[in-house]
Amino acid sequence: MKKPDGKVVLLGDMSVGKTSLLHRYMERRFQDTVSTVGGAFYLKQWGPYNISIWDTAGREQFHGLGSMYCRGAAAVILTYDVNSLQSLTELEDRFLALTDTASADCIFAIVGNKVDLTDDCALSPETEDENRPEKSLASCGSIKVRKQVRAEDAIALYKKILKYKMLDEKDVPAAEKMCFETSAKTGYKVDYLFETVFEMVVPIIVRQKAEGSPQTVDITDYKPAKRTKSGCCA
Amino acid sequence: MTYSEVIKQDHPEGTMSVKAFKLVSAVEREMLMGDKAHINIECIECCGKNLYIGTNDCFIYHFLLDEKISTAGKVTFAATKQLHKYLGFKKSVTELKAASALTRLLVLCDNTITLVNMMNLEPVPTGARIKGAVTFTLNENPVSGDPFCVEVCIISVKRRTIQMFMVFEDRVQIVKEVFTPEQPYAVAVDGYYLCLALTTQYIILNYNTGISQDLFPYCSDEKRPIVKRIGRQEFLLAGPGGLGMFATVDGISQRAPVHWSENVIGAALCFPYVVALDDEFITVHSMLDQQQKQTLPFKEGHILQDFEGKVIVATNKGVYILVPLPLEKQIQDLLASHRVEEALVLAKGARRNIPKEKFQVMYKRILQQAGFIQFAQLQFLEAKELFRSGQLDVRELISLYPFLLPTSSSFIRSHPPLHEYADLNQLTQGDQEKMTKCKRFLMSYLNEVRSTDVANGYKEDIDTALLKLYAEANHESLLDLLVSENFCLLTDSAAWLEKHKKYFALGLLYHYNGQDAAALQLWVKIVNGDIQDSTRSDLYEYIVDFLTFCSDQDLVWKYSEWALQKNEEVGVQIFTKRPLEEQEKNINPDDIISRLNKYPKSLVKYLEHLVLERRIEKEKYHTHLAVLYLEAIFQLKSVATDNCTETTELLFKLRSLLQKSDLYRIHFILDKIRGTDLHMESAILYGKLEEHEKALHILVHELKDFHAAEEYCIWNSENRGLQYRQRLFHMLLSVYLNTGTSDCALVMAAVDLLNNHAAEFDAALVLQLVPDNWSVQLLCPFLAGAVRQSIHTTRMTQIALGLAQAENLIYKHEKVKQKGTPILLSDKKVCQVCQNPFCKPVFVKYPNGGMVHTHCAANRHLNSNMIHRSSSSSNQT
Repeated sequence: MKKPDGKVVLLGDMSVGKTSLLHRYMERRFQDTVSTVGGAFYLKQWGPYNISIWDTAGREQFHGLGSMYCRGAAAVILTYDVNSLQSLTELEDRFLALTDTASADCIFAIVGNKVDLTDDCALSPETEDENRPEKSLASCGSIKVRKQVRAEDAIALYKKILKYKMLDEKDVPAAEKMCFETSAKTGYKVDYLFETVFEMVVPIIVRQKAEGSPQTVDITDYKPAKRTKSGCCA
Repeated sequence: MTYSEVIKQDHPEGTMSVKAFKLVSAVEREMLMGDKAHINIECIECCGKNLYIGTNDCFIYHFLLDEKISTAGKVTFAATKQLHKYLGFKKSVTELKAASALTRLLVLCDNTITLVNMMNLEPVPTGARIKGAVTFTLNENPVSGDPFCVEVCIISVKRRTIQMFMVFEDRVQIVKEVFTPEQPYAVAVDGYYLCLALTTQYIILNYNTGISQDLFPYCSDEKRPIVKRIGRQEFLLAGPGGLGMFATVDGISQRAPVHWSENVIGAALCFPYVVALDDEFITVHSMLDQQQKQTLPFKEGHILQDFEGKVIVATNKGVYILVPLPLEKQIQDLLASHRVEEALVLAKGARRNIPKEKFQVMYKRILQQAGFIQFAQLQFLEAKELFRSGQLDVRELISLYPFLLPTSSSFIRSHPPLHEYADLNQLTQGDQEKMTKCKRFLMSYLNEVRSTDVANGYKEDIDTALLKLYAEANHESLLDLLVSENFCLLTDSAAWLEKHKKYFALGLLYHYNGQDAAALQLWVKIVNGDIQDSTRSDLYEYIVDFLTFCSDQDLVWKYSEWALQKNEEVGVQIFTKRPLEEQEKNINPDDIISRLNKYPKSLVKYLEHLVLERRIEKEKYHTHLAVLYLEAIFQLKSVATDNCTETTELLFKLRSLLQKSDLYRIHFILDKIRGTDLHMESAILYGKLEEHEKALHILVHELKDFHAAEEYCIWNSENRGLQYRQRLFHMLLSVYLNTGTSDCALVMAAVDLLNNHAAEFDAALVLQLVPDNWSVQLLCPFLAGAVRQSIHTTRMTQIALGLAQAENLIYKHEKVKQKGTPILLSDKKVCQVCQNPFCKPVFVKYPNGGMVHTHCAANRHLNSNMIHRSSSSSNQT
């Protein structure tokens, strides 16, 4: 089994489309998915690195597993449904705390999925063409207010996260850059999301490798003398 | 109880499950308890062939387990009872663990772990024991490094306490006691790491450092926790929602969870499978892809454990073994149901469980089989990759296509077969579209591999097959294949090409095999229309080109005739474009000329080639060419009155030849054109004969072409000096002036000649010729030039004279200087050569002042040597 060099975790309430997003990105298509049980992961080759992408279960039942999945993560993608304000609120209330175990320099992305369902013109069939997402965005910009969750709400959440993590806005990517709106169904901005995140994850991987961080341990050449790093809330 | 195997459809895609295990009975209830219904199995341990069973009535049973494999591959177990021992309590035997290195069995009964001998079940004489244990486990990754010691971890009867012990053959020693934040219910150990199921969560605890790491919450009230070490630093835990969670000692998950049922009682590992037991089923999940692979109905099970790779499951009354089917068999089953992806994952996962050589052979074969499955589904990209990585003998693939392998091929398909298809017809079920796709794939595949190592040893088979495919599909690469290095077998390929009417290609094949005669015969037939093949519209030119570079003279003679008949001008290229080296070595131009006699145009071209291009200096060819030009001109003139372009062109060529060449027979040509209107040509010929007056006469009087006359003077005097040129120009002037008739045009020509070419004349001679009545003005430019020239000459001569006089003066001065000083001869003066005094007043004096006898100077060579030697010797002294 190839050892992953870095970890990206998708978090978010049930049925906001985490599995679909990942499926669209990895398999290049959209299909109905069943509710994720526990979690699943994909390995993505990104340049010289293997990045594991963990798809977590949004159901309350599996909530307890989140901390473990997030442990040592280089990036967390917090996902909500643009048609459900509740799903955005849940990110702050339920999921944010799970990221305490993530890597100290973990980056956060906030993703509003299902923009194809907004009642604007939308992402008509032409958006299937992933090369022209900008155009479709412009063509339906004015009616976006009808969505339940506005882009500003996501940006506000991002700033709250920074406050929660006690991070300075100057040290992290800008909110506008880290808040995405996607459609797993049409493929709208899905590649852009993952590729942006991967680009940012690479320097973290490089840093972790340089520091010999034990966040991801190669079980094949473990030396017993090595100590685990204590979790931040242990 | 009865059990039967049911294959459950549990994949979303509805694919069939793998048969990974077979359930086999090991110990029947009669052997244990007979008809005593109250006796239950509480725990089991298996170590090598030894099977130990602990019961609720405080007995330990010892069996020897013999595995038998029938000829059909069916595995059965026969258990032979060795001993049974009553421990003397009214309590159950709750746990048994063997420590084979110590030949000890650790028995947990009544919260006490006792050590008994593995063979006779007698307690150790020292009575060593661990008291106060609720449950215990052995550290399979011990930290002490002592081979005669096992590390035991117990959950103590004391609240929230874990204790570590070292157990030796007949003593025990406590190593560590650690306290946990909550009451522990289950424990597994790896090195210093404890994986604990506490009341509300799972944690990892390093008992050496005391550092702990939360894994995830879990409610032990609702379900029995499971903590199972599955390998170095990795544990399998029962999670919420019936999940089997993987966690490393660092508190992270490296594998996605498996989805069990909600009430799993026990879990075991048999790579690459995780086996779980619940009230009704034994389920098998793969750790490689997390999918459920098999479900075995099994009621009333309450123990599931793996012992050194052996998975044992037990009810209260009987013990059963889950026998893993050989991985190869499992993989073959998967392949048989076309589950390529899973088969490959399983095969790759098995790598570390199978010896390297054996694995490689097996894996290659699996890749090949998988390739054929993908191929049959027309998944060519995937198939190609599998064939490539599986290093498939390409002939396996070729042999699927009827008639592609050469009849002479020794290939036999591998046995057992890599696929189930007899041939492509069966595979495609006659679907022509599919067939075409398959053929297109094979074309590209063979084209790719033919130049790689894969082709080594059977290049003939590959190239022949490729040729057949190309020919059949009318593919343009057929020709590329045949003109580059290839290994197509002649007989097989020839028959096939003929069948598909690829005659041109067939010719190429013959040529490649050194049968140029056959190739030419075929191509000529195509050009003649005897057989049809439209591959090349320019086949005639191709043949000519082919003959040009053909070194077989017989063939060249044989087919040049045909080529010339077809087209004289193109056909002659066979000879004119032939590589020079080849021409000089092998073919005599005379032979060619005699052959070309029938084809005048060709002959002209060929002679032009010899004379103008190769510049062969033979009178024969030059004369012949001139004659041919002449004949052609006469021929044209006889039919057409006007000078057509063709005539002009020929005349130009003729003149050029006559002027530039000095080799042709002048009189012979002159005879030929005498009496015709080829004045210019006669003039050139007279010129060649140095009969310039005649020539100029013709030019001036017959042709009245004064410009040509001047040109004539210039080119005839080229490289022959000023005098010769002046002679010609004077001749021309005379021709202009001495006509008798006073033709105004001639006079004008004469004036122009003089004025334009003043330098080519001797003015004094001209003035004698010029009629007296000409005005000075008329000849002004000429006269001015002449005078200037004359003055120039005078002055130049004066300068030369002056310079010569000056030089003379210098020499005179030298002479006087030399004469100036008298030379006195005395006894003291000696000859520099012989060192003797001068006896006579005769001597020789060298410019450097040296004086010698006349006879000594006679031999100058010797002299100079002597001088040299004497001077050098004097230097030395």
